[in-house]
Amino acid sequence: MYHNSSQKKYWTYDKEEDLDKLRLEANRKFCSKGLSSGKPGINESMFLNQQEEKVLFRHYEKRLLDFCTMFKPVMPKSVVGTACMYFRRFYLNNSLMEYHPRTIMLTCAYLSCKVDEFNVSSTQFVGNLQESQAGQERALEQILEYELLLIQQLNFHLVVHNPYRPLEGFLIDLKTRYPLLENPEMLRKSAEDFLNRAAMTDAGLLFSPSQIALTAVLNSAARAGLKMEAYLTECMGLKEDKETLSKMYESMRRMTGLIKAYELPKAEEVNTCKQKLERIHAEFATNLKRKHGYEDDDHVVKRQMVAEEEWTDEDLDAL
Amino acid sequence: MKLSLSRDAHRQAHLRYRLFQQISHFITVYFDPRSADLLPIKSNFRVQLFEDPAIDKEVEIRKKVLKIYNKRELDFSTLKEYNDYLEQVEDIVFNLTNNVDVERTKQIMEQYQRDNKDVIQRNKAKLTREQEELEELLLQEQQNSEQRRLETLQEEQRQLQAKRKNKQALLDELESSKLPAAVLLAQHKDRAAQLETQIEKQKQNVKPANIFSTGIMMPLFIDTYGPPVPELDQLGRLGYLNHVRTASPQDHAGGYTSGLACHRALQDAFSGLFPS
Repeated sequence: MYHNSSQKKYWTYDKEEDLDKLRLEANRKFCSKGLSSGKPGINESMFLNQQEEKVLFRHYEKRLLDFCTMFKPVMPKSVVGTACMYFRRFYLNNSLMEYHPRTIMLTCAYLSCKVDEFNVSSTQFVGNLQESQAGQERALEQILEYELLLIQQLNFHLVVHNPYRPLEGFLIDLKTRYPLLENPEMLRKSAEDFLNRAAMTDAGLLFSPSQIALTAVLNSAARAGLKMEAYLTECMGLKEDKETLSKMYESMRRMTGLIKAYELPKAEEVNTCKQKLERIHAEFATNLKRKHGYEDDDHVVKRQMVAEEEWTDEDLDAL
Repeated sequence: MKLSLSRDAHRQAHLRYRLFQQISHFITVYFDPRSADLLPIKSNFRVQLFEDPAIDKEVEIRKKVLKIYNKRELDFSTLKEYNDYLEQVEDIVFNLTNNVDVERTKQIMEQYQRDNKDVIQRNKAKLTREQEELEELLLQEQQNSEQRRLETLQEEQRQLQAKRKNKQALLDELESSKLPAAVLLAQHKDRAAQLETQIEKQKQNVKPANIFSTGIMMPLFIDTYGPPVPELDQLGRLGYLNHVRTASPQDHAGGYTSGLACHRALQDAFSGLFPS
């Protein structure tokens, strides 16, 4: 359950600033590593700054969501939520410049299918990419290469608690204990929409899934012009506990603020950042196979150091 | 191996000696003048339990040492003292296993044994008492389950007999009575149905007798950081189950009830709700 989960212990933070600090740290680490690598022609300006990384992150996150929505067979919501959370957690401690988000996002989706027991074979999985057979195979190879790295960077904490089931729980509870609200079902659509938007923010790293679900319900009720304070005071037994009540309202305010502040990055910005990213990856591409001593150590990897990615974003564009 | 003056025999004897030197770690040998051969002292043989014979040796030594050094944590006033004591024990085991300072270590052990004779006795007594109690409980559990098994067997027998009697009674009645066969059959069916319900009722009265011989004695309390969730068996009464999809007969056959999904959703909704 959530209250004794690794998510609560290790992956829930108090303030947005803590998250930004971690990301800045990851960015700085890569920049210093790159600068000290001793390669000619490297200067500070060719690296992505934190804002540009954010732009690219949002772009690829949207890509991930689109990939999951178009996925055949239909991916359950919890799998999508888990994949997004993995993506977010990975880039909390790593820079986009070190590991290309295109591969990481597919690896996140792949791992999430496994963890959530949504049985998809690897060939079926890459069959969802708009690629030639060979391109799909290459993609699969890369996914399998990055899988262990992803698990490691998640600190092996693979169980993610999503807010979808808590939302169901609240709707059941409202129908049973809160007769003031005549038809809680009508809140469902806009609450689910709220949850989808929340998945694209840092809400999952700052609040518990039950809090996110409750905010979704209250928010959607407020939109419909319905008052629901009595639910918290009466049904949750918070009439006497003013402190907890006010803290909860505060969290909900913060959360709604985060969601309102989200905006999809603009295409030109994305393109400039992408070009920078590709240049950096061409320059510093890490050959994971050699680094992690995969399989046969004496197998000489004949790949070029400038690892030319043979499939590009344009292939995903068709999605 | 006979003593002879041939060079081969000499070499063989030398090789055997070297072999025994290597494994003297585990086997002690003596020279037997009668057969002019190196023989192992058989009292040192044990059944090898572990793959690495060194571990076996250590296990044996440890058992012997712990028979003497059998103090427990509650015998010490501070944790540090207990840890020092444990370290002492480990040193002794290590020395004996690796043939380091064997004489001095043995003397230390004897000294300790003399000094703490009464504590050792007391702890030995306590240990045997605890083991006895455990054994008693286990035995009782066994007896209970055996008894239950016999009772169910007997019950089954009784039911079979009752059914047979019923059938026989029907046949007798068909033979002797003047009532039409259809009526008799209906009566018989009625009686059989009554018997079935009786049996069902009896089955439900089986007392769940569970004595836990090991296990947690006090109820566990887990903080869920949220409002309390109603119990699984209360969900129907409180009206929650009206708002969940009812389980189909196939679901029921598989052991699924709608209460399970409802309970889980509620647990998830309430877990971690209150900000800490």
